[in-house]
Amino acid sequence: MIRKSLFLLPILLIALLSSCGTKTEHPNRVVIGIPSDVNTFNPLFASSVDEGQVTELLYLSLADFRWNENLGELEAHPMLANSWKWAEDSSSITFYLRDDVMWSDSIPLTTEDVVFSLDVYSDPAVSSRLYGFFEDFYTDEENHIDVKKSFIVQSDYELQINFKPGSTPKLIDVVHPVIPKHIFDKYDRKDIETADANFNPVTNSPFVLKKWDRNQTITLGVNENSFLYNPENINELIFKIIPDYTSRLTQLKKGEIDLMELIATEDIEEVKNSGIVELMTIEGREYDYVAWNNIDPNVYKDGGGITPHKLFGKKEVRIALTHAINRKEILEEYLYNYGELAATPISPIFKTYINSDIEQYNYDPEKARKILAKEGWRDSNNNGVIDKNGIEFEFTLNIPGGNPLRSYASTIVKNNLNAVGISIKVETLEMGTLIDKLNSKSMDAWMAAWYIPIPIELKVFWYSDLQYSPLNFASYQNKKADKIMDELTKNSTMDKKKELYFKFQEILHEDEPITFMYWKSNIVGVNETLRNTGIGPFGAITHCWEWSVEN
Amino acid sequence: MNKEFLKALLKRIISSLITLFLLISLLFILIRLSPGDPTQKFLSAEFSPELIKKVTADFKLDQPLYEQYINFVVNIFKGDLGISYNYRMPVLSVVWQFLSFTLLFASLSFLIQIIISFYLSIKSIRKKGTAFDKVVSKLSLIVYATPAFVLGVFLIYLFSVQLNLFPSSGSKSLDFDSFSIAGKIGDYFWHLTLPIITLSSAGIAMFYKYLRDNLDETYQQPFILNLRASGYDEKVILKKHVLPNAIRPLISVAGIELGILLGGALITEIIFGLPGMGRLMLNSIFERDYPLVIGCALTAGLIIIISNFIADLIKMKLDKRMIKGLMN
Repeated sequence: MIRKSLFLLPILLIALLSSCGTKTEHPNRVVIGIPSDVNTFNPLFASSVDEGQVTELLYLSLADFRWNENLGELEAHPMLANSWKWAEDSSSITFYLRDDVMWSDSIPLTTEDVVFSLDVYSDPAVSSRLYGFFEDFYTDEENHIDVKKSFIVQSDYELQINFKPGSTPKLIDVVHPVIPKHIFDKYDRKDIETADANFNPVTNSPFVLKKWDRNQTITLGVNENSFLYNPENINELIFKIIPDYTSRLTQLKKGEIDLMELIATEDIEEVKNSGIVELMTIEGREYDYVAWNNIDPNVYKDGGGITPHKLFGKKEVRIALTHAINRKEILEEYLYNYGELAATPISPIFKTYINSDIEQYNYDPEKARKILAKEGWRDSNNNGVIDKNGIEFEFTLNIPGGNPLRSYASTIVKNNLNAVGISIKVETLEMGTLIDKLNSKSMDAWMAAWYIPIPIELKVFWYSDLQYSPLNFASYQNKKADKIMDELTKNSTMDKKKELYFKFQEILHEDEPITFMYWKSNIVGVNETLRNTGIGPFGAITHCWEWSVEN
Repeated sequence: MNKEFLKALLKRIISSLITLFLLISLLFILIRLSPGDPTQKFLSAEFSPELIKKVTADFKLDQPLYEQYINFVVNIFKGDLGISYNYRMPVLSVVWQFLSFTLLFASLSFLIQIIISFYLSIKSIRKKGTAFDKVVSKLSLIVYATPAFVLGVFLIYLFSVQLNLFPSSGSKSLDFDSFSIAGKIGDYFWHLTLPIITLSSAGIAMFYKYLRDNLDETYQQPFILNLRASGYDEKVILKKHVLPNAIRPLISVAGIELGILLGGALITEIIFGLPGMGRLMLNSIFERDYPLVIGCALTAGLIIIISNFIADLIKMKLDKRMIKGLMN
């Protein structure tokens, strides 16, 4: 009997001890579930999405960008700067800073901090995430901003930034999170990356880092001295690191966390049934595609030569392939219509610039067969696979591992293409291997996704000169499209830009360099007590100092 | 004897360290030859191609492999494992942050495995052939065959979702800092209950099976019959004669098991969101954080060597003849 009781002892002990930890009520606390921890709190090095979101809550910028839902465009609002004024020829911009912004250690934020931040962002010794993005500024041969030429500090709160003649600066390229000079100036530039200050941030926002429990929680408290502080709103924001998706979902349904992103479509009903979670969507930031290598990988491998791919080199064939794939089936069956079919890389969220006259290449296997036959692809040897000049239409489609949607979609693609006489083998690759093959352009076809930047960025994905388009893995080349992309880098009116974007979409649609599959929605689960979340294309947690909790 | 023993011990340590060095050298070469590199995370429109070139040069990944290897060896001998590419901290500091949790978690699990399996196997052998023995034997097989991810998810579903008795992830509550010391300890154990059950179950079943079979085998030995015939008490026979003989093979297995546990319990750590070595190592591999991969492998290797060593020392304590074996 005594022995049996001894076995119950640990259980009783746990129950007793755990009851000693009295639960505290936190009416204005919000807990967000994220899959992985951040590795820095310094915006200079914030390379992941989560790091970007967390650091931007700690370090504000001169301007605040918000999404204008009606226009489908970004809108700049004052933040650390009360206002700004462009020179008529866009050769300079003058910022007028707020005079009531204090760092969390009570030192005032001044123009010196802004100059220092841009200087450090562009310094090659620092290797910040923005290194190489300051071509509009006066820089040295290593792309480091020339401080003397670029900045005129008029006062502690007035700063003029000068740009190189002939450059086309935009506000979003100038405005970045400001870091404290008095903290980071103490370090040698090359040591900033490993500085202690990256983990104990002195912030300029309504939030301060209260506690960081590595791989467990990041707790942000409020900075009551901030001009954005509102006692009615949330006063504690906790990022709880939960690597396992199912555990995150369980905690969302139990109310242990208040928000999580990227809810799988098959879990939607279950989440709705929890009765405490509201579902929201972030639309149009990511599209899936099937890429057809436009150039011959073997010729490219043998010395960088560019010749059309023997299967996918002609746009008519690529259009036929798009007609052959039932994208709608995947969208309906797997994504439960949480998304929409894609026709070009311009997202439907850019309402001003999306060319709605462009018609989708609908699923039409008969039409695909006809186009292929017209291009000379026929099953001449009756083996069930179409061929041309002795070449069979067969290839390998590579997909990255660990993604159920792509596994499902690749099966549909395989079956659809088989139906029009194309032999296709699906091969799963580990992400590192896939990236290596993308860089070497050695694959024939692959399925992946692009997370698109805001504002629209095209050159890096679609420019003919592959030196300027490191992400143009399919090696698409079109001189007319290049000209438009060059034009778009210049400052122009909204109407002019609209015309250029429309034309670009027409050209790209006509060439169909890849098969644009669908825009996928990011499904976000939010506890129904949260108010004013304003979830939009910029992410789920931007401006979360404006959130409140209904108790 | 002592001098000879120390010499043999030293010889064994040196040979273990050489093995470890060869292991991490091989790992260094394999991971650098494998596809992907640490700059793959910059493959996005958000980063400039110049940054990729810059980072590649900063990490000295543009150097020939043999030069990278020479630098690696020189640094190893200086005791410098480098800076983690992702954590931007010295590798040893990163490893220590995760190892401290793993040490506690794994040791606790190991202790529980030993105590429970010990209790069950002795009880089983005493009640050999009874329903208890049969049920526990069959159950141990089922538990051993149940993968940790199945058991973990089942426990979360039952105790966390349905019964709401235990938390489903993390090692402490959000209000941990506001608790009293007793509250903190309780909270910690409350969070670790399900992970420890998940991590320990297979180990309990394995140790139980080993120990029960060894005990059974030892009881069949003629000297036990002799002792019984001489009128020795059953308790004395068990404690003084059966257990020391039966436990010896188990110690080697326990040494390996402890090493594996301390190297990280990946699946349990991921399911329950615990900050341990397994998760650290997996992430460092996915992110191609080369210095950290080496750091984790070195730590895990050292732990396995040390725990095996401890197991040998315990065996020697139990049986002096082992020293001769070690020296040979």
